Amino acid sequence: MVKQLRGKSAIVGIGELPTGHFPDRSLTRSAVDVAVMAIRDSGLDKSEIDTVIPLGTIANGLDNTNFVCSYLVEELGLGISARANFQVMSGGSSSSNALKVASALVATGLSRGVLVVHSDRLGTGLDPQVAVDMFSKASVNQEYEIPYGWSQLGLGALIQQRYMFDSGASERQVAAVIESLRKWAALNPNAMIRSPRSAEEVLASEVISSPVRKRMMNVLADGAAAFVLTSAERAADATATPAYVLGMGSRCTNFSTTQQPDDLISAWRPAALDAYTMAGIGPGDVDVAQIYDAFPSFVLMTMEMLGLCEPGQAGAFVEAGHTSPGGKLPVTTNGGMLAQGHTGTGGGMAVLVEAARQVMGKAGERQVPNVDFAVETASGGVGMDLHVAVLGRELGQ
Amino acid sequence: MSAVLPVLSETSRPFYDGCRQGRLLYQRCEDCDAIVFFPRKYCPGCLGENLAWQRSSGKGTIHSFTVTRMFAPTEFSRMTPYVLAVVKLEEGFKMMTNIIRTPIEELRCGLPVQVVFDPVGDELVLPRFELAKG
Repeated sequence: MVKQLRGKSAIVGIGELPTGHFPDRSLTRSAVDVAVMAIRDSGLDKSEIDTVIPLGTIANGLDNTNFVCSYLVEELGLGISARANFQVMSGGSSSSNALKVASALVATGLSRGVLVVHSDRLGTGLDPQVAVDMFSKASVNQEYEIPYGWSQLGLGALIQQRYMFDSGASERQVAAVIESLRKWAALNPNAMIRSPRSAEEVLASEVISSPVRKRMMNVLADGAAAFVLTSAERAADATATPAYVLGMGSRCTNFSTTQQPDDLISAWRPAALDAYTMAGIGPGDVDVAQIYDAFPSFVLMTMEMLGLCEPGQAGAFVEAGHTSPGGKLPVTTNGGMLAQGHTGTGGGMAVLVEAARQVMGKAGERQVPNVDFAVETASGGVGMDLHVAVLGRELGQ
Repeated sequence: MSAVLPVLSETSRPFYDGCRQGRLLYQRCEDCDAIVFFPRKYCPGCLGENLAWQRSSGKGTIHSFTVTRMFAPTEFSRMTPYVLAVVKLEEGFKMMTNIIRTPIEELRCGLPVQVVFDPVGDELVLPRFELAKG
């Protein structure tokens, strides 16, 4: 049944502003800017956009409420064509859930064109201590987990510790993920941190919450991105470079840290299998992988769960340079949250837009040659909610 | 030590009352036999409400741990370094806790641990763990 949705929709336009610290850049204005970029890029007339989906904004509750209350519909002059404006919010996987909703709306004919927009200012719109406290309490179980000093950082550390124990991955292999992401970010004009960083430099940084070191943490940033999605039929007329939505899969496993499966984020496996099955491809067909990177160890775990590497082998694969520019499997070519910057729910949005960009052939200096299939992942909370999508250049089959 | 106290509810209060009496409690579903932890009103296996309190041996192993040195939640910042850990109990459930009274360099995943009932303030006792003796 889901298979019938394969290739029924396509991302036809994308827009993105540079990620970083921009104290003078308006959150709402940035949302409008990227929306206009995406509409202009799409080849659609704006009157074909009948659904607007703003993703959750964290830094400013009032701005978020205004997005919910159709701010973008008015700014973009969609008041005649729009049928619906509603928010999708599931943390880092908001973009993936919006992709799923938008694809279903278009495939069923309920919508012609859907605009998905994210904008946030986690870099300059929040007091740093407020940001630390927010991320140390978001998604903590208040009855049984809070009295021990839990934080999302601690959770990332617990997961990395167990992964290293189970897989034998070395600390240097985890650090090598940063080295690879920084090489990609150097080629991305929208990335915040574009300087190189070696695995050795990562290992020389202080331990924050073992085994996570300072240079294994991502940096909160301001950012905005958008995409336009329409039916495959309309996409073929509207643009020469559609990114067809070929496969989607997801699992949602738990709320509290201790309720995760013993083998951590193992629900990636069935989520990926669903996405591959729907797309009619296997992991060996993937040309580029855009992996959600809350922590560098998560990249290794996800690569294994997606079948891109054998279990326990992702670390050596990354360390050998295979995921870096010129490597045999480019991974997270925008630099990810660890180098492009962590914009809240925008972390997933950025890798989804990058997956579409690579399929469209619009990635400039970092374009991977001949991308037929891109796989993309995102996760809400830390490892509780796992999404995989496959985008492709041709409808095929 | 604990800078943030847990929320006490109709399901967590009996659990913490148990800790005060030196008993680590979990639940077993009398309808479907599921082991339930954390304590809840409804069984996550069958949504039944016949959850019976059971006493855990308090013995388990370190599933994972982290020594938090910096960027702790504000209320915990003066307590660093501390060991945040997930312990897997013999009965098959996992719980969040701290490992105490243990040299940090000895910590490993898989090591056997046992519960220690650690009073914090006048009213509350938290279940923490130390390396199993012998």
